[in-house]
Formats: sequence, C-alpha cells, structure tokens
Amino acid sequence: MTNTTYTTLTRQSGLLDEMRVVANNIANSSTTGFRSEGVTFSEWVSRLGGNHESLSMARANTRVNDLSQGGLSRTGGTFDLAIEGEGFFLVLTPNGERLTRNGNFTPNAQGDLVTSDGYPVLDAGGAPVFIPQGAGTIAISSDGTLSADGQPVGQIGVVRPLDATNLIRENGVRFRADGGFEPDGESRLVQGFLEGSNVDPVLQIARMIEVQRAYELGQNFLDREDERVREAIRTLGK
Amino acid sequence: MRALQIAATGMSAQQTRVEVISNNLANMNSTGYNPRRAEFADLHYQQTARPGTINASDGTVLPTGVQLGLGVQAASVSMVLAQGALSATGGDLDLAIEGSGYFEVTLPDGRAAYTRDGALKRTGDGLIVNSEGFPVIPEITIPADARSISVNAEGEVYAYFGDRVAAERLGQLNLSGFTNPKGLEAIGSNMFVETEASGPPLVAVPGEDGLGTLQQGFLEDSSVDPVKEVTDLIEAQRGYELNSKVITAADQMLAATVQVR
Repeated sequence: MTNTTYTTLTRQSGLLDEMRVVANNIANSSTTGFRSEGVTFSEWVSRLGGNHESLSMARANTRVNDLSQGGLSRTGGTFDLAIEGEGFFLVLTPNGERLTRNGNFTPNAQGDLVTSDGYPVLDAGGAPVFIPQGAGTIAISSDGTLSADGQPVGQIGVVRPLDATNLIRENGVRFRADGGFEPDGESRLVQGFLEGSNVDPVLQIARMIEVQRAYELGQNFLDREDERVREAIRTLGK
Repeated sequence: MRALQIAATGMSAQQTRVEVISNNLANMNSTGYNPRRAEFADLHYQQTARPGTINASDGTVLPTGVQLGLGVQAASVSMVLAQGALSATGGDLDLAIEGSGYFEVTLPDGRAAYTRDGALKRTGDGLIVNSEGFPVIPEITIPADARSISVNAEGEVYAYFGDRVAAERLGQLNLSGFTNPKGLEAIGSNMFVETEASGPPLVAVPGEDGLGTLQQGFLEDSSVDPVKEVTDLIEAQRGYELNSKVITAADQMLAATVQVR
C-alpha cells in the first residue's frame, strides 16, 4: 500500500476510537456523576529516511475530561449527596483512594457509609465515615458535616485533584488521581440531590454525525486511491 | 465496531430504567410502597495508550493517554426511603408508621418478614395479622368481647370491655429498624426479609432509638411521585432513542468500511 493509504488509515482508526468515546458518553447519559469525555487528534510525523521527506499521520492520542457541573436532580434520599463546585468525594477501594462525583451513598450493615458498589466513603481525615445506629435524623450541611439530631458526628471529605488533566477513569464512575489531591474548601454539598451526567446529548449527536461523515469521506478517499492505483497499473501494463 | 456494543449497553440500561419506573407507577396505590430508582455506572475502561508512557518515536512522556470506555451497566436499583402521605381510614387496626421502622410478621416457614403496610386485621381467634394473614410479632390477641381497641403512638394496645371505664392493656407493638433499610430484600406483598446488607433488626418501642411512631386510623400511602416518574420515563425514552441513533451511525460507518474494495 502507498503512504497515502497509511495516512488515511491512521485517521480512520482514530475516528473509530472517537466514535467509541461518543457512544460511551451517550450510553452514560443517565449515569450519576459521569463526566463526559472527548478525544483530540494530533499530527504524528514519521521519519521516512533517505532523501524522502517526512510523512504526517493522524493520531487520536489525547483524551479530554469535561469536568463541568452536571445538573442536580432531587431524590430526597438522606444519603444522596451532590457536589456543587469542583470537588470530588473520596472513596477507598481495594486498589487505593479514588475520586468520584457519584454521591449515591448508603450506610451498610456495619454503619459505614458506602458507595453503591460497597466501597467506604472517607471523611476529611481519610477515615471511613460512620453513621451511628438509631441515630435519628441525619443532616448533612454544605461543608460535609454530618449531624445526628443536631449533634455533629463526622464530616464527609471533599477533595480536589492537584492535576485535573491527569485523571484516570475506572469503572463505577471513579477516577484515579495520580497527581495527588488536596482538601477542597470551596465546593458545597447538597443533601437529597444527585448530580446527573454532564453529557450534552446535542453536542454528542453533532459530534457523532461529524465523525460518521469524516469516516465515510475517508473510506471514499481510500476507494478513489485504490481506483487510481488500479488505473496506473492498467496503463503501465498496456 | 465497539460503538455498536457500547450503544447496546446504553439501550439496555435505559430499558432497565423503564422497567423500574413502570413498577413504581404500577405500585402507585400500594400501601407503604417506596419507589425504586435505577442507578447506573460506567463499565471498565480500556487503556489504549497509558498516560505517562514514553513515546517511542522521540522519547517524550505522554501527559494523557487514551482510555476507551466500554459502556454502561446498572449499578443498583435502590429504594427511595421517603415517608408516604398518611390517609385517614378510621379503621381501628389501620396503623401508619410516621418515621422509620417496620412491623415484624412471621412467614409460614418461620422466617421473620418486615412491612410498613399497617393495614392489620384480626383472625377469627382475635390474633392480629397483616393483610396476608401472617401474625404480627409480638403476637397480640384481641378478646371477642372487646368493645373497642386503642393503639397509642408508642404502640401500646388497649381494649375497652362492656361498660367498664378503664381500658385493659393487651400488649405492646414493636417496630424493627435497620442500619441499612435499602439492603432489605423485597419478597412481594409489601414485605421484606433481612439480608447481610441490611444488618440485623433493631427492635424497639415506637418513638425510641430513632424509630417512628404509630398513628391509629391511618394508612401510609405509596411515596411514588407520579410527576417525577413520568418525567423520568420521558428522559429514559429519549436516552434510548439517542443510543439507537448511535447504533444507526455506527452501522453506517461499518457499511462504509464494507463497501471499500
């Protein structure tokens, strides 16, 4: 195959990846605390050696996390929490501390506040949050202070990643912050609400159509290129 | 084409949501019913280019990688524990729980079940049972000659006899609370059984240990909010349509691939 074909193929495979990202965003348009994701393409210059000039290829090698606020919806649940601001909840998984915006928590049989997949939610000091049994009415204030019948019993930790561009996604709407994190004093917690996914369906559908058309254009180009090569061979063979 | 499978997970998630919503709407008039809500979580991410890996061509470190998500899954379908409105029925064994807690009944196989449905009845022998005929624990028998029954907020059951002025105490109704009531397993007929996730029941007199109080002559309505359910239904339907659009687009891309000679 010719260089032209290779260059087009790098773009086509990047577009397929982007289509997957768009499909994943749309599939997660009802996932609590989900952050939309995008792909950026970059030029990848390949050295050809000899007297030849270099060859430019396309590569989808960067992902973008859209960390904007999702819409809050009222659920009325005592332990349903939404974050207004840039912070994240801290949860302890077997692989270490993870960040999440999914505030769908519930106390487990031992009284620890856990996520929907059972991982403990950590407090401001990094210890699991404990809900005393038979505590009566639980109220959670905007700074995360938990109170049972007016008596403070703990504080839910809210942190902010030091390097927001370097968040690794994990299943269960969790992020791994390799760059570390710090306590976030600016975000506010809202009790009885959950934050929806921040996927904008209009943008995603527009992106999807764009990707689809660009892909068809690429295939068309490959088709023509194939035709051109065949024609050249036919002419030479005469 | 992974996009096809990813969109399919999205469609099946929205379908789960519609099923949960239709069950809520179907139980709009079930006494003491708490609506359920489907929660979703993203599936595993495939790291096609790990952040921090070294670029082979020129040795630079990639600041961010490429992670491709594989779709969505239902994470949980949990109860929304909200107090339903109380409606007056006037029945002397209609007991609504205001606050948290469950009545305990004994199933025919001897297991304990818990219910917020306080439409209690009495058997021919005067035993207090729930609508299914299972005895309420602790068992209380109302003598046939009792003129009227009174249940106070703390669960004490009194009966008045003949022309006597003073009431006679027949027994005490308790409530059971759970550390994680969302962890109870629903077995139908407004009843639940204990699981490892809910924790053991904490039995106490109504009004103590954070439990609710009883209201005689009232029943707790279902706490389903039809307006919210219908808006959720519309949202789920549109979500389904969006995912089906992705399937169409992915299919067309696949068709373009196939058409290349």
